[in-house]
Amino acid sequence: MNMRLKLAMAIIPLGIIIAAVPENTTRPYKLSAVELLEEVKEGIQFMHPDEVADMVVQKDPSLQLIDVRDKDAFDKFHLPGAINIPIADILSVENEDYLNQDVKMNVFYSNGSTAANEAWMISRQLGYENNYVLQGGLNFWAETIMNPKQPASTSPDDEFAKYDFRKGASAALGGSTLQATTDNTPKAPKPVIKKRPKKKRVAGGC
Amino acid sequence: MGPLVVYDFISQNTNLLLAFIIGIGFGFVLERSGFSSSRKLAGMFYGYDTTVLKVFFTAAVVAMLGLLFFSLFGWIDLSLIYINPTFLWSAIVGGAVMGGGFILGGFCPGTAFCAVSIGKLDALSFIGGLVIGVLLFTEGFPLVEELFYAENMGTPTINELLGMSRGVFGLVLILAAFGMFFVGEWAERKFPREEY
Repeated sequence: MNMRLKLAMAIIPLGIIIAAVPENTTRPYKLSAVELLEEVKEGIQFMHPDEVADMVVQKDPSLQLIDVRDKDAFDKFHLPGAINIPIADILSVENEDYLNQDVKMNVFYSNGSTAANEAWMISRQLGYENNYVLQGGLNFWAETIMNPKQPASTSPDDEFAKYDFRKGASAALGGSTLQATTDNTPKAPKPVIKKRPKKKRVAGGC
Repeated sequence: MGPLVVYDFISQNTNLLLAFIIGIGFGFVLERSGFSSSRKLAGMFYGYDTTVLKVFFTAAVVAMLGLLFFSLFGWIDLSLIYINPTFLWSAIVGGAVMGGGFILGGFCPGTAFCAVSIGKLDALSFIGGLVIGVLLFTEGFPLVEELFYAENMGTPTINELLGMSRGVFGLVLILAAFGMFFVGEWAERKFPREEY
């Protein structure tokens, strides 16, 4: 009897304390500030629009585009296959399954790269991997993929290869203007150049 | 700081070693509480010995308070603690079967191994029965498979179902536990042990 009363006197006040205090819901950072600075300096999270366009055109299933702008901007225009997680909702529980996984590559994008980079930093500090940022965002995407600039005639061959790839990609992505820029400057080596991007795609598909 | 192994403070192997040491501690406490005697365990059901109730509820209350206070201090992340998924029908049927075996045999699986380690032969026969039960279950699994996997409720916790916070439920459980200790004392007086 005595032992039980002593035990009760010790445990019940602890119980009252724990009932009265609100729950601790902080989510700790898994990376220290130094580690994050190293990663930020290297800039390994950036993906060039050419890489991403390649994956989109090939319908690569391991790619997941995440639009971090708000819903109105997403509804007006979004890249094919993108889901919308506005940056304000990035910590909510439903979205954790998209961000914290090791199956798909998540590529954040926004109009520039600021909001996407913010999303990347927050999710990187929470320890999530496989998250990347579209370099330059939609603005750079439009410049390079949607409206590629024809390289000058003295440019190296791979500039032409990139240009043809981008034209093809923008057509495949339902963008534009393949008709508008029908630049029929016939050049002898052109057919050869056109074949090279196709070979690259077949090799990459496997 | 969280569960140490999740945050890579200790490796998986160290985790298992610590589990082994904690297991030795568990067996020690069981033996010192007298649970190697099948009379003490069966006494829980006949009412003359409520030691099982007191030991296990004290352990549960201390562990719960420990986890909640550690969460309060930020030393552990409660969302990372593994909770067994709830399969409702399996739990009910399995619990009834195990309860029947408990009363018949006077041991539960953990205390049986405890008693075997001090050389009790009735615990050895209990373990033989355990092995037979495992074999019957494995061979007859296709028959019980549907029941086994029925009604997966995920991992609900009682405080979620009752709509109260973890801390408040903790207090309720502590008060309920102490209430049960008093009821146990009363029962012990009411159902005296038959003298052998």
